[in-house]
Amino acid sequence: MTLALLFTLLLQTPAKAGGDLLAIRVKRAETVAQGPIEHALILVADGKIVEIGEDLPVERGIPVLDRPEWVATPGLVNAHTRAGGERGSGRAFEPHALATLEIDPRNELWEELLELGVTTLALYPDGQGIPGQAIALQPHGKSVQDMLVAAPAYLQVYLQASASSKKALRDAFQKVDEYEDKVAKEREKWEKEQEKKKKASKTSGKKEDEKKEEKKEEPKAEDKKGGAFPQEDEKKDEKKEEKKDEKKTEAFVPPAPDEKVKPFLDLRKKSLTAMMSIRKAADYLHLLDVVEKEKDVQWFLQFPLGDDGDLYEVAQKIGEKKLLVVTAPEITLQTNSLRERNIPAELVRAGAKLALTPRSDTLQGHRDWLPDVGRLIGQGLPREAALAAVTLEAARALGLGEELGSLEKEKAANIVFWSGDPFEPSARVQAVMLGGKFVVEVGKEE
Amino acid sequence: MRRALSGFFALLALSFPGRVAAQQEGGEGGSPPAGQESEGEERKKDDEKDAKYFAIVGGDVYTGSGAILRGATLLARNGKIAEIGYDVVVPEGTEKLDARGLRVYPGLIALGATSRMSTGATAVEGPDASEGTGDEAPPEPEIEIRWDGLLPVPVPRAGQSGATGTEPPDEQFQAEEEGEEKKSEIEDTFDPFNSFLVLALATGITTAQQSSAVVKLKRYEIDGVLLGERHLASIPWDLGNPSGIKSTRDKFAKAAEYQRALRAWRERNDKNLKEPSKKGVDTTANRVLAGEALAHFRASQREELLGIARFAQEYGIRPVVEGCEEGWTVADELGRAGAYAILTPRHRMPKDERFVRPGGASIENAALLHLAGVQVAVRPESTTIDFIGTAGRDLLALPVEAGFAVRGGLPEEAALAAMTIVPARVLGVDHRVGSLAPGKDCDAIVTDGDILHYQTFVQYAVVDGKLVYDKEKELYFAHIRPRPKEPAPAAAEEPKAEVESGEKEEAKEEAQEEQDDESSGEDEKQSDGGKDE
Repeated sequence: MTLALLFTLLLQTPAKAGGDLLAIRVKRAETVAQGPIEHALILVADGKIVEIGEDLPVERGIPVLDRPEWVATPGLVNAHTRAGGERGSGRAFEPHALATLEIDPRNELWEELLELGVTTLALYPDGQGIPGQAIALQPHGKSVQDMLVAAPAYLQVYLQASASSKKALRDAFQKVDEYEDKVAKEREKWEKEQEKKKKASKTSGKKEDEKKEEKKEEPKAEDKKGGAFPQEDEKKDEKKEEKKDEKKTEAFVPPAPDEKVKPFLDLRKKSLTAMMSIRKAADYLHLLDVVEKEKDVQWFLQFPLGDDGDLYEVAQKIGEKKLLVVTAPEITLQTNSLRERNIPAELVRAGAKLALTPRSDTLQGHRDWLPDVGRLIGQGLPREAALAAVTLEAARALGLGEELGSLEKEKAANIVFWSGDPFEPSARVQAVMLGGKFVVEVGKEE
Repeated sequence: MRRALSGFFALLALSFPGRVAAQQEGGEGGSPPAGQESEGEERKKDDEKDAKYFAIVGGDVYTGSGAILRGATLLARNGKIAEIGYDVVVPEGTEKLDARGLRVYPGLIALGATSRMSTGATAVEGPDASEGTGDEAPPEPEIEIRWDGLLPVPVPRAGQSGATGTEPPDEQFQAEEEGEEKKSEIEDTFDPFNSFLVLALATGITTAQQSSAVVKLKRYEIDGVLLGERHLASIPWDLGNPSGIKSTRDKFAKAAEYQRALRAWRERNDKNLKEPSKKGVDTTANRVLAGEALAHFRASQREELLGIARFAQEYGIRPVVEGCEEGWTVADELGRAGAYAILTPRHRMPKDERFVRPGGASIENAALLHLAGVQVAVRPESTTIDFIGTAGRDLLALPVEAGFAVRGGLPEEAALAAMTIVPARVLGVDHRVGSLAPGKDCDAIVTDGDILHYQTFVQYAVVDGKLVYDKEKELYFAHIRPRPKEPAPAAAEEPKAEVESGEKEEAKEEAQEEQDDESSGEDEKQSDGGKDE
């Protein structure tokens, strides 16, 4: 009773907002955040999930889609892919570059990926070293702008146990140090000048104050104009600037950082995250050697899994740090032996957070994605962790953990409806909802 | 250093009658500043309350500096050896390694090992690393004869290392100088999980020379792997290239002049006098004469060796001679020069039959050189490490290589030194590794028998007071003569042994040794397999 009451109360707000309400009743909803809900009812409005629960009553007038055989999961998120990207740009050190230019909205691949339940992808720029920043996109839309979910999603960094590789990253942070020193000096200079000015005339100071206020208003207006996914980093930046401004009644405009320095500055400011790609266990230690000094930098770990992989050696260390690791659902062999290692499961057991990508970036790779993950479950990976690995944790890797990745209130209604357990090879996608709209409906096409 | 160390023991009030503090090597070439540094670090660590202890209990400790302590305990504190002896108080929470019935040796040191050992299979062999192996090609086919007056002089064929012209050796000289300016990248490339490193540990190697650097084979971590750098300065000395030898002589003459001028300037301590100019002084020669590096020659023929020995005496430097196949014919001279010889005891080199004098490789080479006072180090024929390497042809058989020298008459103690303290001196790291002594790094190996015996396996390897290799737990040799299971629980035996030793005290040390030997039971007899002594 109380639930129903609450529900009706909650309902009123979206109803008044005038969105197109739709209720979907399914056999089970794998919410990821709160575990599975049997006989779930999902209420969607304005592209977002408004309510989700077990056997909730629906107010009269709201259309109900009754699909008692479907299983709903959050839309799949591929946190690290080159699918749909152009080949061989071969960059080495262009941390400012975005992968945006590479995508072609007319590529047929997008539609096919969508049909497989993939609703979000992070396209990382091609190259070595520090080739640029990845973007998050949805495989649906008429223009690049339509497809973009977040840009940048993260900074792609490759790190190996080599002097040059480590030096590149060290130097990058050193340049930030230099820049910060420069800013500090400029600020001092500026403050001295201000004092001089104040002494000279107090009237001019007031004028500047007025100008300042105008400036404050502008960014807020931009915020409102922003799309469904306002970028966190911009917001934070603005807030920080505002705070600074408040402290010192007058605006200090720091010199603009070099475009190659800015990404690393953003890393320190936490407005950007880094995806550190490594290959071997030793690389991880060398990565720590460089990155551990940078306490403010938030980073994730990514590695491919091959038969020469010895990452089980550092699984415990990674787990202790509770790192988010992006890897592929692969069973590998221990070096020089035929002993099978389930490294993703070992990482989860050690305490790491896991995001799994398809083993290859091809369409077939995406088709095999969930069955591959299913195999890992069969060999010891906890099912909840596996489900989160293709949805919520992957979304977190893109910095979109608050917006999508699970079936929760206030999250984007990116939902995949399956004919059964998604990890069963026989399971097929029945429908895909992207931003509250059905973009794939198997029955209708037939 | 020794005084400071004993002070440290007094502080800890750990001086027990039974303790035999193995002596620090006297007159060792270890650079004193580095030694002081490490001592400072040690003190700092000592101040920490959470010191980490590691003990190897009950093994026969071969300290590598002469002493053999049977059934003794080796205690390490924060990776450094704190104490070796009997009645050692092992603090609570110490990680213990039961070595009863086993032998404890200092970790072996591999000279000129290929970089695979520290960076894994993907390592690209640099020119520095291949330099060592390239020289091992048998010299016979490359030799030409040049008639110098009436004597035939064997000369390497043109193009090999520049028999004509002065430029090639100069270039080489120069290239090495430049190479030396570079800091070793090993700290940025070290792979502590690579399987070749585990194989090296399985051989007993805990320290390896990797081109110009000396690397500690640490596992699971990358901190503090670089032990030393640039202690060997390669000096060309090739009879086939007389102008090269002349150029070397000139360089040393100039450097010596500079050193004299510098010393004089320092002694006068006159502000009005200018510091002597370094211009035109060869940096390599200068470093050798300043004692910052050892002169490293590659030579095998008698005439070359004689030349090197005399040259070294002229300048008062201790030469390191690699190869040194005919060294036994001029052993006295090399001994007088205080030379180090890096030998490959199984390397074959035929006598040059054009000469009446004795020559060619000899099985007695190491023994005779040792007798003459030359410090002998051993390196195997091939210093690569691999799974496909035939046992005995590569680094996996370093102790067998030394064993071959023993076959030729080298005392066993010298053979052990040839794999431990002598290479450590050659590499300038003898203040840290090379023997088991208080204050040194706790790099030890535990074997199931005489290290020089071909049947012996390394059961455990310890680096910096951490267990890094356990034969039973690694994939490679666990199935070959598995370690016998213990007949009785270890916990029941230990206190008993302590009580016994307490009662009898140090006067009955020998009796206690016997007791210890008996108490460790049958497994010891099995593992020792009668090859003991």
